[in-house]
Amino acid sequence: MGLIALIGVDLLQLLVPRLIKRAVDGLTAGTATSALLGKLAAAVVGLALLIAGCRFVWRTLILGFSRLVERDIREWLFGHLLTLDRIFFGRHPVGATMALATNDLAAVQLAAGMGVVAAVDAVVMTIAAFGFMLYIHPRLALVTLLPMPLLAFATRVLSARVHQRFHKVQEQFSRLTEFARSTFTFIPLYKAFTQEEAQAVRFRRLGEDYVRYNLRLATVHGVLFPASGLAGNLSLLIVVVYGGGLTIAGAISTGDFVAFISYLLMLTWPMMALGWVFNLFQRGIISLERINEVLLARTSLPEITTSAPAHLAPVITLCDLSFTYPGQREVALHGVTVEFGQGITGIVGRTGAGKSTICQLIARLYPVADQMLLFGGHDVNTLDVAAIRGQIAYVPQEATIFSDTIAMNIALGNPAAGQAEIERAARAAAIHQEIIAMPDGYQTRVGEKGVNLSGGQRQRLALARALLLDRPVLLIDDGLAAVDLETEQRIVLALKEHLAGRTCLIVSHRLAPLQYADRILVFDGGRLVAAGSHGELLAQNSFYAAIYAFQRMEEEGEAGHAAA
Amino acid sequence: MQPHSFGYFEEGHLGRGREFRLWRRLIGFAGPYWIWVMVAVLLSFAVTGATLVVPYLVRLAVDRYIVSSALPATDRLSGLFTVAGLFALAAIGGFGANFFQVKVLERTGQSIMQQVRQRLFRHMLRLDLAFFQGQPTGKLVTRVTNDIQNLHEMFTSVIVTVFNDALTLLGILAMLFWLNWRLALLLLLLLPLLLIHTLWFSRLARDVFRAIRTGLARINAFLQESLSGVTVLQLFGREQETRTRFAVVNEAYLADTLRQISIFGVFMPAVDFMNALGIAGVIWSGGHEIMAGRMTIGTLVAFLSYLRLFFQPLRELSQKSSVIQSAMASGERIFELLDRDSAMPPATAPRVLPAVRGAIAFEGVTFGYGPGKVVLRDVSFTVAPGEAIALVGATGSGKSTIINLLERFYDPQFGTVRLDSIDLRELEPEAIRSQIGLIMQEVFVVPGTLRDNILLGREVAAAALARVVEGAQLQGLVAQLPAGLDTVVGEGGVGLSAGQRQLLAFARVLARDPRILVLDEATANIDSETEIMIDQAMATALAGRTSLVIAHRLSTVRRAHRIIVLDHGRIVEQGSHAELLAQQGRYAHLHALQFSNGISGIPKKEEG
Repeated sequence: MGLIALIGVDLLQLLVPRLIKRAVDGLTAGTATSALLGKLAAAVVGLALLIAGCRFVWRTLILGFSRLVERDIREWLFGHLLTLDRIFFGRHPVGATMALATNDLAAVQLAAGMGVVAAVDAVVMTIAAFGFMLYIHPRLALVTLLPMPLLAFATRVLSARVHQRFHKVQEQFSRLTEFARSTFTFIPLYKAFTQEEAQAVRFRRLGEDYVRYNLRLATVHGVLFPASGLAGNLSLLIVVVYGGGLTIAGAISTGDFVAFISYLLMLTWPMMALGWVFNLFQRGIISLERINEVLLARTSLPEITTSAPAHLAPVITLCDLSFTYPGQREVALHGVTVEFGQGITGIVGRTGAGKSTICQLIARLYPVADQMLLFGGHDVNTLDVAAIRGQIAYVPQEATIFSDTIAMNIALGNPAAGQAEIERAARAAAIHQEIIAMPDGYQTRVGEKGVNLSGGQRQRLALARALLLDRPVLLIDDGLAAVDLETEQRIVLALKEHLAGRTCLIVSHRLAPLQYADRILVFDGGRLVAAGSHGELLAQNSFYAAIYAFQRMEEEGEAGHAAA
Repeated sequence: MQPHSFGYFEEGHLGRGREFRLWRRLIGFAGPYWIWVMVAVLLSFAVTGATLVVPYLVRLAVDRYIVSSALPATDRLSGLFTVAGLFALAAIGGFGANFFQVKVLERTGQSIMQQVRQRLFRHMLRLDLAFFQGQPTGKLVTRVTNDIQNLHEMFTSVIVTVFNDALTLLGILAMLFWLNWRLALLLLLLLPLLLIHTLWFSRLARDVFRAIRTGLARINAFLQESLSGVTVLQLFGREQETRTRFAVVNEAYLADTLRQISIFGVFMPAVDFMNALGIAGVIWSGGHEIMAGRMTIGTLVAFLSYLRLFFQPLRELSQKSSVIQSAMASGERIFELLDRDSAMPPATAPRVLPAVRGAIAFEGVTFGYGPGKVVLRDVSFTVAPGEAIALVGATGSGKSTIINLLERFYDPQFGTVRLDSIDLRELEPEAIRSQIGLIMQEVFVVPGTLRDNILLGREVAAAALARVVEGAQLQGLVAQLPAGLDTVVGEGGVGLSAGQRQLLAFARVLARDPRILVLDEATANIDSETEIMIDQAMATALAGRTSLVIAHRLSTVRRAHRIIVLDHGRIVEQGSHAELLAQQGRYAHLHALQFSNGISGIPKKEEG
């Protein structure tokens, strides 16, 4: 429908020069009458009205359609992204994925909208206008069009170069952006080490390169756009000389001559457009492929649709669990066998010992092999991921805070939670006092453009978020590292009460909070090397004892002081 | 504001009067490049001339040689060739002028922008830390990149093309009047209609463009946040709700784009329709003029050509007005930044800092980061050259603030901070900071190699660097790295652990060998082996220097000659570790909490 309107516009437009021709011929021959002129003028206006109507229709339909497509793809893409796992996001930085949903999608939309319009327009106009020109005088038409393929060709070649140079400009621009970003991020460092001037000089150099690339791009642009005008003028010149000669020789009428010029002017744009449209489609297709690649990506976790058992006991069993992060060679966990039941289990070990890996596997962030990880006695690979996660409250190492109010951040897992519930969670996470001291209390906005939270506050907010859910399993994956000790003491004591009858895992570098644990597991190099209470471990495990001994060294001196 | 807007706020709109001032300042940027601007203007005369002369030549050819049957055919042909020659000249001249115009404009525009960008960047680097802490980094980056880019777009593509277009329109009008004033007058009747239509449209277009830009920014902000936090959303089972919220943002954007389509759908065909009205007028009225013998056919043809040229710029108007709008908004934001003064006035008569001994004095210092938020209250203390001081206190007691004042990141509201008895306000911040080695809690790894990261712009001989590496206990790491000191670290390179970052921070200070060392100890948990290395690096760094350390670890406190205990911005106790413990005051309490753990019954120490 839109296309029909578009073709209609093109064809109707071609009639206008015919009318002009009749007027000019009539006037040249002296046969024109007022009535004829009136009729022709009225016809031009009538045609224009029709054209305007058709234009409105195609614009609304074709461009509107391309926007609808854009919306659908974007929604689809986003929905799909939400189902993808860590492995995917580890390989695709957020910035690049965002570019898909905006820049790439825009390229697709442009190709589907203006690209289609311009292509149809160019093809129909070229064929029709050329047809009319052929009809007037075949040889003149052919000769006139000589520069046109040249123009289309030049446009294509030059646009390819534009594309290439533009790419360089864009690259330099991201370098500039990245430089500014890192400078502003590290500003305290640069100030403390008086590197402001050095940074400014580096920035100037990057800027100079940016200018240079832009000038190189401008050279191509400077040729490309005037070139189209030049080619058009060249054709016009041919018409004037050759067509003029033909008119003088009486081979065509003056009206034909004028109409010919009109058709020629109509052709210039489609010829330029052809080169442009080609690039437009090319970019659209590349972008579509990139989007499609993401749409084809699948989560590596099993997608189980069968309903989960009504009740899942909060018991997690690791049976000879081994795990290697995708794309890495080093094994993260070597045959770990252990069961987590009610009560607090502490996990300690060096960086890279596999502590965090266990939490992430239990939270189903990465796939595991069959029969290695059981939840409530069921192999996790037979359970719906969402059903397992529904049993778990997770506090990650990096607390994610959304740009919203504090209340909404805490109530993330249950937006319907009342103020009382939110406050209870905040109290348990020892952050209530700080929240009410903020300008708008629980309604204070945090995140970008909101109040800046310290690392410890962020972690406690994430803890409150997890506690609000009151789920059977709580995983604290080194999620209190930035909280100072005095506060952490209070939190852990509060947790003790909060967690009656629940299963809780606390990963920590610090030994202090783990003293309250019912059991402590010691990991080293991806293996479970020891398990027991604090006292047992101290007596039996040399690694645990070594950490303790290191602290002990300092304590002894102090004991002396205390005694003195 | 609806809940969960995910980080996007509407930017304010501009008032009329401010718009004018903005223009003046924007044009002011072009000042130093006025010669090039003039060249561009001259070239644009040439371009316009060439554009306008073409239809005129066609008319000449038609009237003089093609239609006039009075001349013999050979004369008519040779005349035709002469016109063709002129035509070719005009076409090539126009092409050349156009090319140079593009080049000159780009050079001018880029030079202006480079200058503005540089000025803005330098200006921002001079601003105080409080400024940086109050602003999201992304926003600041946008100022020196995208906002400048918007300005550039306006300078090159709009200002001059608008000038070109205006010149062309005027030229065409003049041409039309010269060719046939009666017909031109008739066409002039269309002008008010066109003007009203265009003005009305550009207002609509501006609003809808703004809405679209805002909508896209909102989509971006939403994506940025939800994709960054996708794991949390998944763990908390919020996928469905997030999708629904995204659909709302996406739908709003669609609505705006559809509105844009219908606005353009009316405007563009309407302009074309007026163009057709013009053609009809020319045929009708021009035809009558010809019949009356007052006009030639060539003039009619020329009229039709000029009409086409006349409508071309109008079609592009909407696009340009949107570019101008976004450039104005960017300009406003840039000036806002440029007008912002650093909270710290420069030293009026900066004193040259002689060789520093390393004595520090705080005299009755009171300071707050904002009105009503006093952090330090009447704090006085002195540090002798070579003395090691530990600052101890709960979070928010003012420890970090003391460091910030000493580095002159801020100036105190009352009281004086002195370095070797010179008031810091009489010194340039750079002069102070080059005497003080600062180790912050958070160690930033800047993009580059490990060597770059240690040296931070300083030149150090290889042997000295080797000593630095050893002193900072980094030799193990250097040996491990594939390219040693020249390994790219940080983002896009080898990641450094928290402990290794700490060691790097010591190396940075050792490479500068300052008289004074200021250290904000990290609270992050580090495994015990690295802990030992940090201890050794610290011993090396502190040796023989005046030092001020915010201590979190017992070993550090015990190393200090003197401990200053802060509570709510006041110094409450001072003395050695043993003295303070004996006092059974605030320090003893803090110590019990922070450095030992009596709850479990087994006395235990906390490691950093």
